[in-house]
Amino acid sequence: MDFTFTEDQQLLADSVATFLHREVTPERIRASWEGEGSDTRLWQQLVELGLPAMLVPEEHGGLGMNELDFIQIAQECGRVALAEPLVEMAMIATPMLAQLAAGSQPCARVLQQIAAGEARVAIGHPLNPAVADAGIADWLLLASGREVHLVPSDAATLIRQDSVDPSRRLYTPEWDRTAPTYRVAGEEAGAAAWCAALNRGAVLNAALLLGLAQGMVAQSVTYAGDREQFGRPIGANQAVKHHMANCAVQAEFARSPIYRAAYAVAQDPARAHIAASHAKLAAGEAALLAAKNAIQVHGAMGYTWECNLHIWAKRAWALEKNWGDAGFHQERLHAWLLEDTTDIGAEHTFDYPAPEALDSAA
Amino acid sequence: MQLSFSAEDEQFREEVAGWLQRNLTGEFEQLKFRGGPGDEHMFPQERKAWEQKLAEGGWTCVGWPRAYGGRGCSIEQQVIFFEEYARAGAPGRVGHIGEGLAGPTIIAFGSQAQKEKYLPGIVAGTELWCQGYSEPGAGSDLANVRTRARFDATRNQWLITGQKVWTSLAHESDYCFIIARTDPDSAAHQGLGFFLVKMDQPGIEIRPIQQITGTSEFNEVFFDDAECGADDIVGAPGEGWKVAMGLLGFERGVSTLGQQMLFQNELDEIVNIARDNGAARDPVIRQRIADAHIGLKIMRYNSLRMLSGSEDGSLQQEALIYKLYWASWHRDLGELAMDVLGMQSEILEAPPYELSRLQSMYLFVRSDTIYGGTNEIQRNIIAERGLGMPREPKVQIKVQDSQ
Ligand SMILES: Cc1cc2nc3c(=O)[nH]c(=O)nc-3n(C[C@H](O)[C@H](O)[C@H](O)COP(=O)(O)OP(=O)(O)OC[C@H]3O[C@@H](n4cnc5c(N)ncnc54)[C@H](O)[C@@H]3O)c2cc1C
Repeated sequence: MDFTFTEDQQLLADSVATFLHREVTPERIRASWEGEGSDTRLWQQLVELGLPAMLVPEEHGGLGMNELDFIQIAQECGRVALAEPLVEMAMIATPMLAQLAAGSQPCARVLQQIAAGEARVAIGHPLNPAVADAGIADWLLLASGREVHLVPSDAATLIRQDSVDPSRRLYTPEWDRTAPTYRVAGEEAGAAAWCAALNRGAVLNAALLLGLAQGMVAQSVTYAGDREQFGRPIGANQAVKHHMANCAVQAEFARSPIYRAAYAVAQDPARAHIAASHAKLAAGEAALLAAKNAIQVHGAMGYTWECNLHIWAKRAWALEKNWGDAGFHQERLHAWLLEDTTDIGAEHTFDYPAPEALDSAA
Repeated sequence: MQLSFSAEDEQFREEVAGWLQRNLTGEFEQLKFRGGPGDEHMFPQERKAWEQKLAEGGWTCVGWPRAYGGRGCSIEQQVIFFEEYARAGAPGRVGHIGEGLAGPTIIAFGSQAQKEKYLPGIVAGTELWCQGYSEPGAGSDLANVRTRARFDATRNQWLITGQKVWTSLAHESDYCFIIARTDPDSAAHQGLGFFLVKMDQPGIEIRPIQQITGTSEFNEVFFDDAECGADDIVGAPGEGWKVAMGLLGFERGVSTLGQQMLFQNELDEIVNIARDNGAARDPVIRQRIADAHIGLKIMRYNSLRMLSGSEDGSLQQEALIYKLYWASWHRDLGELAMDVLGMQSEILEAPPYELSRLQSMYLFVRSDTIYGGTNEIQRNIIAERGLGMPREPKVQIKVQDSQ
C-alpha cells in the first residue's frame, strides 16, 4: 500500500498551484462577471500549461494521464475559486468522450481538438440543474433519456439561467433530439457513461469544495488576525479560534476520502460509487461549515458584496448541490451499507463493492 | 395558568383580521409577503404609504400608551395583532425602527419636548428612523465609538463629526439616533451622548453598501459637522451609554412575536415545497422539518410565557437567550430551505441576480447571527451575566483621534 502521491504528481500540482495563485485574483474573477463571462486569456494560459489535454488519451493526441494526477490540481482550482470550467471540461467531460471514442468517430475527433487546445466541451448531467459554461463551449455532451448526445453548441438553443454564484454561467439547452448524427451512445452504453461521469463529477467537485473550504479558512484566519475589537485581534477570542479550528479539522479529514476516491475513479469509474459518494459528502460538509464560520468571523463585512469571501461561499453553496446533493449521496451509501451481503470490515477498506450491490445503490 | 384568549380578545382578533382583509387590497395587494428578511429594499415608497394606511386605522404603535398616540393594547392584544398581521401576509414594516426602538427610548428617557416633537411622526407613519450605533472600529465593541459631538454655543447646536456604518435604511430615513462622544478625552462607555439627528442636511452623506444579496439595505453614513439641536440629546451628555443600553431591551419586546409569525410563513412554504418536489420522502429532511417546527414552538411558548409575566411587554430577562436562539434557528432554517430545493436552489428567479424569496432568506440569515450582537457575544453575555461565570479579560483602550 502507498497512500501518497508520486513525486511527479506532486511537482505538477505544486507548479499549477503557483500559477493559479499568481494569476487567478479576486479582481480577475469579478471582471469575468461582466458580460458573457469567461476570461479568454486565462483559458489560453491554462491550455499552454497543457491542463485540458491531461486526461485525453495518448492515441488521441493527449497526455494520457488520469484522475489521480489531476485531483490536487482540482483542489487548487477550488482554493483560488477559479471560475473557468477547467475541471468540468478536462476531468469530467473529457474522460467521458474517451470512454465513448472507441465506438464513436465524433468523440474521437473532439478529443483531438481538445488535445490541440481548439475545443471546449460542456457537460449536462441529468443530476445537475443546468449546463455550466455551455455558452463558451464548442461542443455539448447532453443526455436524452440515457442516450449521450454530442451536439455542436451552435446547433443548440441556449437559455441563460443565473446562478446564486455570479461566477457560474448556466444554460438550459434545447436541441433536436431526433437528429441521428448527435447520438454517440445509445441507452445501454449511455447509462454506463453517465454513471461513470457522475462518479467522476462527485469526486471532482469534492476536490473543488475542499479547496474552497481551505481558501475560506485562510482568508478568515488572516482577517481574524487583522481586525481588532476590544483592543485585540478578534482571533484572540477562543470563540473565533474554535470556529476556525472546527473548519480546519473537517477540511483536513475530507482529504483522505477524496484522494481515495480519485484512485477508485482512476481505476474503475463505474464502480467507484461508494468512494465517490463518501468524498462528496465529506467535502460538502467541510465547505458548508467553512462558508458559515468564515462569514460569521468576518462579521457584517462578510455579508457584503465588496468582501471577496462571497465569491468562495457562493461557489461552495452551488457546487454542494451539483453532481448529486447530500441526500442523493447519503441514499447511495445507505442503500449499499444496509444490504445483507455488504462487507464493511477493516479488511475491505479498499475493496470495490460487488456489482450486484451497486444495482441497489444506483 | 389559562392557555387561551378571552372572548373579548378573540373579538379583537376579528377586528384586526377584518381590517387587514379590507385594506391590504388595491395598490397594497402587491406588498403581500414582501419586505421581509432579505427583501427590505423592495417597494420603499409603497411600504411608506402602507405605514400611513396602518396609522389611519390606528394600527401603528399598538402597544404604546394612549397618552403618546398609541393604541394602548394589552399584551394579549399585541400578540394577536402580530399574529394576524403576519397571517395576512402584510408587508415588512419600514417603520419598525421608529416604532420599536426610537419611540420607546424617547418615551422612557426623552424630555417632554422630544416626545411632542418626535412621537407623532412615528405614530402617523410619516417619519422613519434609522439606528446609528456601529462604526468601522465599533462593532462588537460598541463602546469604542469615535464619532464626536461638540457643542457650539454660538449656534446652540451640537456638531457631529465621524462615521457610522451598516446603518439599515438610512437612505429611507428622516431621522437617525446615534451615539457619539461628547467628551473627547473619554474612553469606552463614559462620555457618550445619545442624539436625535435629522438626516436631510448638508453635513450628512449617505453611501449605500451592497450586500451579498446584491441589494443595498444598509449604508455608510458620514457626518461632517452635522447639526443636532441643543434639545435633541436624550439624557445628559455622558449618559448616552445608559440610554443606548436601555434601548437594547426594547429590541426584544413583543415585536419578536411578529417575527415568529414570519418564520412560520417561511417554514410553511418550505414544507409545501418539500411535499411537492418529493424532498419530504427523505427521512433526514423529514427530521429536520420536525426539528424546525419544534424550535419555532419553543420560541413561541417561551415568549408568551415571559410576556405574560411582564409589566410592560419588554423581555429583559429573556433577551439574554432569545437572540442567540432565534438567530441560530433561522440560519438552520435557511439551510433546510436550500436542501429542500435541492439542485434547483442554485437557480435564480431571473437575471440579473434576482433571488427568490427563499434564496433571499438563505442569504439574509447569514446576517441574523451577526447584527444586534453576534452569536459569540451573546454566548459571552449569557455565560458572564446570566450564569455569573468569570469574565473574559478586558483590554482598556484609549479612544484615538479619528481626524
Ligand atoms: C444586515 C445588518 C444590518 C445592520 N444594521 C445596523 C444598523 O441599522 N445600525 C447599526 O448601528 N448597526 C447595524 N449593523 C451592525 C451590527 O450591529 C454589527 O455588525 C455587529 O455589532 C458586529 O460587529 P462587526 O460586524 O464589526 O463584527 P466584529 O465585531 O468585527 O466581529 C467579528 C467576529 O469576531 C467575533 N468577536 C468579536 N469580539 C469578540 C469577543 N470579545 N469574543 C468572541 N468573539 C468576538 C464576532 O462574534 C464576530 O464573529 C448591521 C449589521 C448587519 C449584518
